[in-house]
Amino acid sequence: MSSSAVIEVKDVGMTYKTRDGRSHKALEGCNFDVAPGEFVSVVGQSGSGKTTLLRIISGLINNTSGEVLLKGKNVAQALRELAMVFQAPVLLPWRNNLDNVLLPMEFRKAVTPEVRAYAQELLDIAGLGDQATKFSYELSGGMQQRVAICRALVSRPDILLMDEPFGALDAMTRDTMNFELQRIWHETKQSVLFVTHSIPEAIWLADRVIVVGDRPGRIVADIKIDIPRLRAREHRYSKEFTAYERQIEALIGTPGSIS
Amino acid sequence: MKQPSVIEEREAKPEVKLEAKLETPSVIHQRKAKKLSIADILLSPAAKAVTGLALMLAIWESVVRIFDMPRYLLVGPLEAFAELAERPMFYLEHSWITIQEALAGFALGAALGIICGAILFYIPFVRHFLYPTLIAIDTIPKVALAPLFIVWFGFGFESKAFVSMAIAFFPLVINTFDGLSSVPSELRELAKINKASRFMQMTKIEFIYALPNLFTGMKISISMAVGGAVVGEFIAGSSGLGHVVLLANSQVNLASMFAAFMVLASISLLLFLFIDRLGKKLLPWRDAGK
Repeated sequence: MSSSAVIEVKDVGMTYKTRDGRSHKALEGCNFDVAPGEFVSVVGQSGSGKTTLLRIISGLINNTSGEVLLKGKNVAQALRELAMVFQAPVLLPWRNNLDNVLLPMEFRKAVTPEVRAYAQELLDIAGLGDQATKFSYELSGGMQQRVAICRALVSRPDILLMDEPFGALDAMTRDTMNFELQRIWHETKQSVLFVTHSIPEAIWLADRVIVVGDRPGRIVADIKIDIPRLRAREHRYSKEFTAYERQIEALIGTPGSIS
Repeated sequence: MKQPSVIEEREAKPEVKLEAKLETPSVIHQRKAKKLSIADILLSPAAKAVTGLALMLAIWESVVRIFDMPRYLLVGPLEAFAELAERPMFYLEHSWITIQEALAGFALGAALGIICGAILFYIPFVRHFLYPTLIAIDTIPKVALAPLFIVWFGFGFESKAFVSMAIAFFPLVINTFDGLSSVPSELRELAKINKASRFMQMTKIEFIYALPNLFTGMKISISMAVGGAVVGEFIAGSSGLGHVVLLANSQVNLASMFAAFMVLASISLLLFLFIDRLGKKLLPWRDAGK
């Protein structure tokens, strides 16, 4: 593993104690890394432990074995610069969109005119430049999730963690959001770890797809996606794409969703 | 009569924007501000409420007249109104005393209730030990506490304010706790990932998120606080509307009793509406998008 990696996951495992005292192994021996500027998807069935993996990396829960290094530093000591996008946008309804984007910087007591300008720039990139003073309830679900992505990016994190961010959106909005995300990623050169259970979404967005198998959750494959950037809709129906799709479906052991 | 919220005012401003180019917001408030027609006014919620009240008073008056009720059993609203018109200062003075007791009790009860609700939420240790006890205490009828408060605080203003407080307290404990619990876990995780201090997390997210629940609690508490003050006056009073009711009772003056009821109902309603409007004014985002 190269030491220039933004994130190194080394032999990470997670064992829960269940209520009746037995231990439940959620993750076992996970190894992978994420290079700067790389877009990595994590795909697997529901309950396979992919969200647990993301939450360990984010520091929200602690792994029971192995270690996660951020820019070569131990999780516990490193001042982790990461950001998270959840399945729901969870914007604060009393704040306008710009102020919602600025929230993480307010937490850091670091709101400067430059930061405000950057927040506005992010909204511009997300195609919401003229919505800065609007409130979340005036936006569609897809637009709200774009504001949430801007909020995650405003602190210029080393890595952006996305936990099924488009899972709550309808199929058409989801397609649009995938295009938007690719464009935002292309403009910000952000390292991204993207958790999803949609195989086509994982392939279409990513430089690499990490396939998580279940019981216990473990990495069964780490597949490099050789489809040129920026990707267009046609790529979805190309021969290579279908080949990747079949390969991953076989690894997961169930046919993927149609959408 | 539509209540013009802040959002609508914002919408009403003529903005020349190419809305059509954007994604269609899944939203509200597409209605343009327009002049109210007579039909709108007649069909407004306020007009319907007034009509309902008038209808009820009319039925009440008719029952009294048709069945020729004896005056020691029931008097009609017209007689109660006449009583009010005859001695307006008498009712005003006693109302003012009851209002002061109720407001003092409400303010104290609400403040304590919010603090207690927050402590129960933030300190699990306290919650596990005290929540069941608090619920148990809440089941004691507050009326039963009134004699105790008289022993403690005497026959004056304080004992009534404390009865009122005891009643106003619990709705805010519960609603504060529920409001803080309703904060989505993602927002707490967002704060954690961004290393927000506990104080920041509380002031920037949790307490604002809980405000709609606090207002719900206050709406329940305020009318209960008026009732609490009256109960206090029943037991230890030489003034206030509770005293007026007792006095009227002893004189078999039903006109005065119903006059006092009407004043009490009006006070509760006005205080309730005040809190309701305050909530709508301060929290325009609460009802938006619904």
